[in-house]
Amino acid sequence: MMNRYLYDGTVDGLLSSIAWILEEEPDLEKVTLSKREDTLFEEGFTIATDVTLAESLFFRFKQHAPDAAHTLYSCMLAEKEGMETSLLHYVSLAFRHGDKVKGHLTHPAVCDIVNVAKKAGRELHRMKGLLRFEKLQDGAYLAKMEPDNNIIHPLAYHFSRRLRAQHWFLYDVKRRTAARWNNGSLQFGTIEQFTTPAMSEDEKKVQALWQAFFKTIAIPDRKNPRLQKSNMPMKYWKYLVEKQGE
Amino acid sequence: MDTQAKLQILSGAARYDASCASSGSKRAGPSCGTGNTSSSGICHSWADDGRCISLLKILLSNDCIYDCAYCVNRSTNLVERASFTAREVVDLTLEFYRRNYIEGLFLSSAVMQSPDNTMERMVRVAEALRTEEQFGGYIHLKIIPGCSSELVRKAGLYADRISVNIELPSQASLQRLAPQKTKNAIIEPMSLIGREITNSLVERKASRRAPRFAPAGQSTQMIIGASPETDFQILRLSQGLYKKMNLKRVYYSAYLPVTEDNRLPVLAAPPLLREHRLYQADWLLRFYGFSAEEILSDDAPHLDESFDPKTAWALRHPEFFPVEINRADYATLLRVPGIGVVSAKRIVAARRFSLITQEGLKKIGVVIKRAKYFIICSGRSYEKPDQSSTVIRQRLLLGEGSEAAVSALPKQLVLPGLFTS
Repeated sequence: MMNRYLYDGTVDGLLSSIAWILEEEPDLEKVTLSKREDTLFEEGFTIATDVTLAESLFFRFKQHAPDAAHTLYSCMLAEKEGMETSLLHYVSLAFRHGDKVKGHLTHPAVCDIVNVAKKAGRELHRMKGLLRFEKLQDGAYLAKMEPDNNIIHPLAYHFSRRLRAQHWFLYDVKRRTAARWNNGSLQFGTIEQFTTPAMSEDEKKVQALWQAFFKTIAIPDRKNPRLQKSNMPMKYWKYLVEKQGE
Repeated sequence: MDTQAKLQILSGAARYDASCASSGSKRAGPSCGTGNTSSSGICHSWADDGRCISLLKILLSNDCIYDCAYCVNRSTNLVERASFTAREVVDLTLEFYRRNYIEGLFLSSAVMQSPDNTMERMVRVAEALRTEEQFGGYIHLKIIPGCSSELVRKAGLYADRISVNIELPSQASLQRLAPQKTKNAIIEPMSLIGREITNSLVERKASRRAPRFAPAGQSTQMIIGASPETDFQILRLSQGLYKKMNLKRVYYSAYLPVTEDNRLPVLAAPPLLREHRLYQADWLLRFYGFSAEEILSDDAPHLDESFDPKTAWALRHPEFFPVEINRADYATLLRVPGIGVVSAKRIVAARRFSLITQEGLKKIGVVIKRAKYFIICSGRSYEKPDQSSTVIRQRLLLGEGSEAAVSALPKQLVLPGLFTS
């Protein structure tokens, strides 16, 4: 007999459910955890969301296995459905083995989590390079993106260490979320109605310089469009200055 | 001439420099300035030739007094000449950096009036970026052979990485094709840089405030196929550079004919496969514990075109195999074709939890297609034991069940799309 547990779909709900199950359930093999869909015939026991419980779990987890906690965090960025039961096993194994759990790749749950986390981490690293800022009329910089994973938080953090002297915005077009850096403070929010602001006068000139550089830096005898696409998938071209009009 | 025209000339002239790495340096960057560096390096785009773009790679000038046979900028070549001012380079770097186009600047140059004069101008650009503009991004400076050691030292203080191009793999070739450059003018700054890097590491251990010297190390580059050296000579040279001079990277660049000269060979196509095999062998030297003498010998001085150097080694050494995945140590695992640094580490980590089965090995990411002839997994082998290397050779090249059907082997494999800097 399987015990089916449900939670409200929030991160806090997920973490508090995991904490609750780890406390109450002796045998995780007999447990499933999933998001509540509120359909008529849905079966299962809904675990109430408890923010304090969620925070204390994540805090203990970070203390116990910092690397594994980072993997867990990356996995959450993917916003992938149906990972809850694997996450449950992963957290439980990490409490037993510490950071070494990441090496337990032959365990299906660990393999799942590590792979999803790796994908999200890879996109985050990619966007650190592929993001393009445009200078606006008021001197601020704006970058738009449509990543698969919800990476705006760690990405904004990266740029807050790098482009400190600028006033800039990140905008995730798909999720309508934004980050803003100004005078040393980083803020996040959502934007319901986005209107593209006017660009600064010299912006087109700088973009033309970059496009010229991009063209001439390639060695003509070594053209390799396949390699280019595998390194820089076409889904990212939309906001790339050097790939406009292709 | 406007900036755009100059940029086209001077980036077109710089594209034959292979290096574009931005890794190996971790700097928080000045609190009021622009830029930091990331130790893993970041690629910002990929050009039409598939190579990564992470730095603004340009020459300060292509107006050269030298006449090296292989070089597009040689003084007798009829190309348009241009030179940037320091200000132009600084502005370009900052404008691009603020828009996240680049990780930093890679500045090289043709030799203008003299090596010292050129190097001084290049150092001035780096100095302006660091001190006037508070730029904390990545800077790679090329050292002009023959410049004073004072300028080399200065370059190392501003740059993350500095490099001296060795250009050709032997002194004889250098003399023939680049008579104005001498071996000493190249080797001397290299060893000076090596010493300064070591000193600075020692000093920084004593005091955190001691200045860094080229924290991302030094690299070099040589042209492959313009001169008669064998792969064995080239690999031994690289091995020496890694061991004795502590280089971070040696770059190989397949010779592309860009000027006419009867001292140069006529090739049907640039030796791209040879370049690829040399990089694979180079990786074996740096990360897999191989020596040049294990990979090649005087009797077989060239890398196999059909097989990567590790598979070629494995086929020559049947006595080393099969390797038991659950017992072999890390160094042994690394020698198995199809197992790389990442999967070898994963195997060692996963063994702590349970025996690794064939299924598990696949999950870990081992390339079973190649590894299966050389491994045993929990006592079980994938293939019939005791296959001769001729059979394995054929199966690796042409796939399963090929031994009956085919007699002729293809001379060249298609270049895999694997070329990261």
